[in-house]
Formats: sequence, structure tokens, C-alpha cells
Amino acid sequence: MLPVSYPRLTWTATLVISALGIIAFLTLSTRVYAHKVNVFAWVEGDMVFVEGYYPGGKKAQNSLVEVYNSRGEKLLEGKTNKKGEFSFKIPAKDDLRIVLTASMGHKNDFTIAAGDLGGLEPSSKESITTTTKADAPPSATTVDMSRLQVMIDEALDRKLDPVIKLIRNTRKDGPGVTEIVGGIGYIMGLFGLVMYFKSKQERK
Amino acid sequence: MHISEGVLSPPVLVAGAALTAAGVAMGLRKMDNEKIPRVAVLTAAFFVASLIRVPLGPSSVHLILNGLLGLVLGWAAFPAILVGLALQAILFQFGGLTTLGANTFIMAAPAVLCYYLFGRSVTSKHPGVATTLAFVCGFSAVLFSALLLAACLVFTGESFLHAARILVLAHLPVMFLEGLVVAFCLAFLMKVKPELLGVTHAAG
Repeated sequence: MLPVSYPRLTWTATLVISALGIIAFLTLSTRVYAHKVNVFAWVEGDMVFVEGYYPGGKKAQNSLVEVYNSRGEKLLEGKTNKKGEFSFKIPAKDDLRIVLTASMGHKNDFTIAAGDLGGLEPSSKESITTTTKADAPPSATTVDMSRLQVMIDEALDRKLDPVIKLIRNTRKDGPGVTEIVGGIGYIMGLFGLVMYFKSKQERK
Repeated sequence: MHISEGVLSPPVLVAGAALTAAGVAMGLRKMDNEKIPRVAVLTAAFFVASLIRVPLGPSSVHLILNGLLGLVLGWAAFPAILVGLALQAILFQFGGLTTLGANTFIMAAPAVLCYYLFGRSVTSKHPGVATTLAFVCGFSAVLFSALLLAACLVFTGESFLHAARILVLAHLPVMFLEGLVVAFCLAFLMKVKPELLGVTHAAG
């Protein structure tokens, strides 16, 4: 039994109300979230660090991490810890594709190019030190060079640490308001098109 | 509720896409000119609902709104959810284009089921009955989706009971929230726009 005195809303009014509701909801909840898992990996020395997280910063704990080379062969696998992190020694100087499989059908991957795996392979670094130890006096300059290389790498790792942290944190942001409003625009436009073609059909 | 790319096997993806195609065809056939604007509005609501994180205890959840879509749109929930998910996949990389069919079916099939289960009875003249049924509608739509998702994951090697238990437990807060949202929306719609729920002017 609906009282007659209730004002009947037109479609424009309903649209405006829902749009306002959506905007109010958006501004009230500052952070957006959805079901998607992210992977980020970076190199420090001869180790690769992997981090899995959901938009909004929640960690992907106890998730399977698999590492593949450029030929698609699996090199190693492991599980993320409570902080959603996993680390491993660089297995080969090759493009490494890191695949993270979280629970409930969430999966994503991240590729580290061979060129980003540091200037020296761990094995070659060792070989240089051994050769330099064997004939120490004549190759004094080579010793310095290789040591210098290691020192530069270490210093760079240290200096780049805040930058890497910054990148890790910015990547945790979910979709922005621009994208969301744009998406709503797409929907309205799409259904506008449907109406346009339907009305054309009817006129015929 | 968004299954990522590369999780499901091709037969499951093809089956999901085929079922979704059938549902969308059915939805488009039932969608007349009068219905298009309401499909557009609810598509937008669905698109945005998945993006909004509702903080709840230590973690956070997002609404799905498939119960509401089913109640108001019936079979047209299929095209609405397809469009919403396609835009989420393209703009935010949630889910994926290859899993679009399976994801749409997981969320739209319970919507249609709820339409048949509650579509008529929810407009009951008795406010208590209507509110309770609306709550159950929103609650069970998410429950059915979680069970369907668990069924899809069975083909990836997870046991149904294990996957179902995790998914249902994880979505329990969403189910309650959805129940409340649907109950609230229904009360609002009955007041301002009862035609949306299939109530004719004569009856209202």
C-alpha cells in the first residue's frame, strides 16, 4: 500500500541520486581495494627479493613463488613468509620470470631482465678474487678494480634502497578516482549507444 | 571473486564463456528499451562496488552486489556483470579477459537464481517479510558465488570442500554486508521506485 503522496522520481533524479551516492561512498572510503594480487621483485647484491601483496597493502602470505628462465624452465620455487616476502640467490644470468600464485585463484607475475641482475655474476666474482689472490703482486690494479666494482655495487644497493622502497609503496595504490569515474563514463556511453540503436530500429 | 588469468584450464574457461554467452543472449532478449537505463545504472553500481574497500576488523572486504542486480534486473544481470567485469579487467587488470566468461558466470548465475527465488516474494506487503527475504537474497547470492568459484577451482587441483570452506569463511562478512545493503536498497526502492521491482502502479 503505497501512499499516493510520495513523489515519483524521474529517471534523471534517480541517476543523480545514485551518482551522488557513488561519489559519497568514494570519498568516505579513501582507499580502494579489489581482488588482485601484485608481485614486485628487486635485486640486491646476488639475491633477488620478491614481495606479494594485494591492493591496499595487505601481504600475500604463504603463497607459492615459482621462478622460470627465458626458455620457460622452472629454476626454483618457494613460499612467501608472513610478510609476503621471498628471497633467493640469482640462479642464472637470464631473464627471470617470477610467478606468484596466491589462494582463491589469484595469480600474477613479474619479470626481471638479465641486464638488471647486477654487473657481475656471483660465480665470476669469486673467480676474479681467486685469480687475484694467486698472483697478487703483479695485478694490483685488477684487485682494486674488482674490489671497486663490489664496493660500488654495495654502495648503490644502499643508496637505492629508499628509492626501491618508494617504488614498492607507490605500486600498492589501487585504481585512482580518474579511472573509476572514467569507467562509469564508459558504461553510460555504452548503454547510450545501445539505446540509440534500439530507438533507430523502432522508428523503421 | 575475480579469478586471475592462467589459473583455470582451457576447458573450464571455454565452458564458462559458453554459459555466459547463453546468459547474455537471454539477458539481451529480455532487455527492452524501458529496462536499458536501469541496467546501465546497476552496471555502474556493480563496477564501482568491487572497487570500494570496506574496512572490517583486521582485513577488508568489497561488495559484489550480485543479489541486488539479480533482484532488479533478472536475466539482464548477465550483460550488466559482463560489461562491469570487462571494464575492470581492461582498466584495472582485475581478473582478466580470458577469465571473463568464467568470472561473469560465477557472479551472474547466482543473481538470476536469486531473481527466481526471491523476485516475486520480496515485494511482499508485509515489511518484515520483505526485509528478511531481501537480506537472505543478498546473503545467498554471495554464498552461491563462493560455492561456484570453489567448483571452478576443483579443476585446478584443489579439493572442493577445502576451497569451499576457505571461500565461504572469507566471504562471510561480505554476505552479511550484502544482505544489509540489499535489504536497505529494497526498502528505498519500494518507497521511491516500486516499478523497478516489478510492482505495478495499481498494486502500489
